Amino acid sequence: MKNKEEKGLVGREFVIVREYAAPRALVFRAWADPAYLSKWWGPRGFTNPVCDWDARPGRKIHVVMRSPGGDEFPMGGEFHEVVPNERIAFTSGALGADGAPLFEFLHVVTFEDRGKGTKLTVNSRITSAGPDAGRYIGGFEAGMTQSLERLGELLAPPTSG
Amino acid sequence: MLNYSSRGLDRVFGALADPTRRRMLERLSRGDCSVGELARPHRMSLPAISQHLGILESAGLVGRRRRGRVHRMRMRPGRLLQAESWIEEHRAAWEGRLDRLGKFLSELQSKEEKL
Repeated sequence: MKNKEEKGLVGREFVIVREYAAPRALVFRAWADPAYLSKWWGPRGFTNPVCDWDARPGRKIHVVMRSPGGDEFPMGGEFHEVVPNERIAFTSGALGADGAPLFEFLHVVTFEDRGKGTKLTVNSRITSAGPDAGRYIGGFEAGMTQSLERLGELLAPPTSG
Repeated sequence: MLNYSSRGLDRVFGALADPTRRRMLERLSRGDCSVGELARPHRMSLPAISQHLGILESAGLVGRRRRGRVHRMRMRPGRLLQAESWIEEHRAAWEGRLDRLGKFLSELQSKEEKL
């Protein structure tokens, strides 16, 4: 579907590029192994009591993120493409009370060598947005708080031994 | 502090969820036009077209100006900027998640070094 001309949400995307001082196989495993993924997925302080994440094409995704206050944010999706140590493409979206997705993103995650480290690129494009998508904004207050905390850390870095 | 009106956003997303309305907005993004011009590419009755326009108007996405019997429609992009900031919130959430991944990776590696 070509949505370039649409002025709405569908087709909009963002790209984030990061470099990590870790070998590519390890960074890939952090994405492909649910035992690893559940340790970092979601905003800071969140846990993932449910993490159905079997990184093989066609497999469904079901992750429940739990905030430090105990609120739960279920997420659904599906793996589209998995090339070990190179690329993972999957859809994901927050689920509403009825279990249907409020919106859906297609994420394409690529892994490349950068010296001894790894360059990670996350390309996220919104592929559908239902009438209740806007309601999910509340769930991101945690993200905002987290950004402020991070800013605080940058201004006063902890002394490491 | 970000100041979102959740109900306003619901209306925007509701309005954007329909392909006919998205095509109408796409047409209006290229310039103002009359209701008749807006209706032409769609095989729909005028009441149906008016209903779609009413939804776009109540979402604040389009405005209407009356010149005698001719109603001219124009786009009001301010609301779409709100949709834009919604996407930005998602990006910010992902930035936070990838920070957390970085921390996890360095913890893993320092554990490996100790072994």
